[in-house]
Amino acid sequence: MVIAKAGLRTFLSKKAFLGLLLISWAPFFVRAVQVYAAANFPQARQLLDVKAETFRQFLDQQNIWVFFITVYVGAGLIANDRRANALQLYLSKPLTRAEYVLGKLAILGTFLLLVTWVPAIVLLILQVMFAGNLTFVKANLYLFPAITLFSFVQVLTVSAAMLALSSLSTSSRFVGILYTALIFFTTALWGVLAFALGLQHAEAGAGRPGVSWISPSADLAQVGDAIFRVPLRYDSPWLLSLVMIILLVAVSGLVLERRVRGVEIVA
Amino acid sequence: MTTPDVERAGVVSADHLSKWYGQVIGLNDVSLTVPAGITGLLGPNGAGKSTFMKLVTGQLKPSKGGITVLGEPIWRNPQLYFRIGFCPEQDAFYDRMTGLEWVAALSRLNGVGESEALAMARRALDMVDLADAAGKKIGAYSKGMRQRVKMAQALAHDPDLLILDEPLSGMDPIARRKTIRLIKDWGRAGKSVIVSSHILHEIESMTSNILLINQGRILAEGNVHQIRDLIDEHPHTVYIKADHTRALAREFLAFDDVLSLKFEDEAVVVQTGRPDAFYARLTELAASGSLGTIHEVTSPDDNLQAVFQYLVKA
Repeated sequence: MVIAKAGLRTFLSKKAFLGLLLISWAPFFVRAVQVYAAANFPQARQLLDVKAETFRQFLDQQNIWVFFITVYVGAGLIANDRRANALQLYLSKPLTRAEYVLGKLAILGTFLLLVTWVPAIVLLILQVMFAGNLTFVKANLYLFPAITLFSFVQVLTVSAAMLALSSLSTSSRFVGILYTALIFFTTALWGVLAFALGLQHAEAGAGRPGVSWISPSADLAQVGDAIFRVPLRYDSPWLLSLVMIILLVAVSGLVLERRVRGVEIVA
Repeated sequence: MTTPDVERAGVVSADHLSKWYGQVIGLNDVSLTVPAGITGLLGPNGAGKSTFMKLVTGQLKPSKGGITVLGEPIWRNPQLYFRIGFCPEQDAFYDRMTGLEWVAALSRLNGVGESEALAMARRALDMVDLADAAGKKIGAYSKGMRQRVKMAQALAHDPDLLILDEPLSGMDPIARRKTIRLIKDWGRAGKSVIVSSHILHEIESMTSNILLINQGRILAEGNVHQIRDLIDEHPHTVYIKADHTRALAREFLAFDDVLSLKFEDEAVVVQTGRPDAFYARLTELAASGSLGTIHEVTSPDDNLQAVFQYLVKA
């Protein structure tokens, strides 16, 4: 808790970060206007109707902010402690390695939930308020658990991967580049493989298994589609994407277990 | 364990303790009991002092054997960390934080509230004579101030056992004297201290109870005086960074125990046959301020290494 509190306070005291958080809510305000218009102006419904997919699209739109906040907040979370040699002092206090990692996860996770789960849920509440009835929510009872489940899966995956990368270096800048490279490289690799194997990764239903599972971003999108019960966007089975996500989280955990130590052992 | 029990069993007890890093042996089959009070851990760099201290603080898992601290096994026993204060050899700071913020932040990890942590940090900084610089960023601290702020975080929560890894390294003579006094006061107050150094003179000024360690083995434990004469036979090298190194060198030439001196960068490097007398006069010089400020005093461990080689051969 101490680690999480101190980290949250550090970032909330930075004007640049508060600005980033504020901008990341811009899509929410646009969607709020859409919800309002759809609820109050029947003629606007044709163009701006709010459906269950709207919430899936909203979370999709937030991906870019998830990326920026992950890099801004996450890159230095462990790397800076390693550079400052602070881990040996932290872990000589009554603080376990698990508590330290969970504290760091809580910092990144809180900010990521602030741009995913929180605005999506507020949007759902706004829909009820503007409509003045529960018809939409009753018709889409799965929405609240879907938003919650997807947001938490996304936040856990992204946070664990970023923390693992952050534990590998003492330079937050390098970690940021590494994370960006990981996202873009896996996406590029997926494109190249799809092209080489004659699989069109952007189109579902080609009847052949795709290779989108190579990209963590695509895996999250695929699992998100499955959670929101919308048509899958890629050919890979969503279960395979889920396995890849679990694998990524497990590998990240393993890396953290080996790297977060008070004493760096060089044999 | 009650205090008398701990006094009987020792604050640290190692039983055939070994630690190796792959093929490299850090500590080799060490069995010992560290009594309550101040104990000096003396050995050259790479002797296994830091490995031993990290095993005592529970940061390393023994490869073989066992270790108990204050009567309890230390490995995976974070509750015991409440009773231990650790000051590492390496710097471990966020330069952008002030000394007060840093010590308070680390004190919070002992499970205390914010205001209590601040009070603890202020008290600890006052003890190490850094109250005036508490609001300054650590990045602007001198080497000696950095050492002292590290000590402040170790003693802020009033631990029963203080573990200090080379605490005097880089301190100026006055800070060195104050720190030695602080460590001795701590011992007099009934607390236990394990302090490591590669300089006998430093250890001797704090305690006569020492553990001699080299190549991962405890060579001797007990009273310092038995090896003292042996060590004094070897010239002791002192590296001094000051405002006016040339004036300082002129002054040193008048000391009959100074065997040689030379200049390196902005420092003067002195070889002395009687480190005690030399350090005493150096402290007086620093206190008088007549030759400007003495910023840093360090000693390489070559002379001690020579003694250890002699001991091992013998």
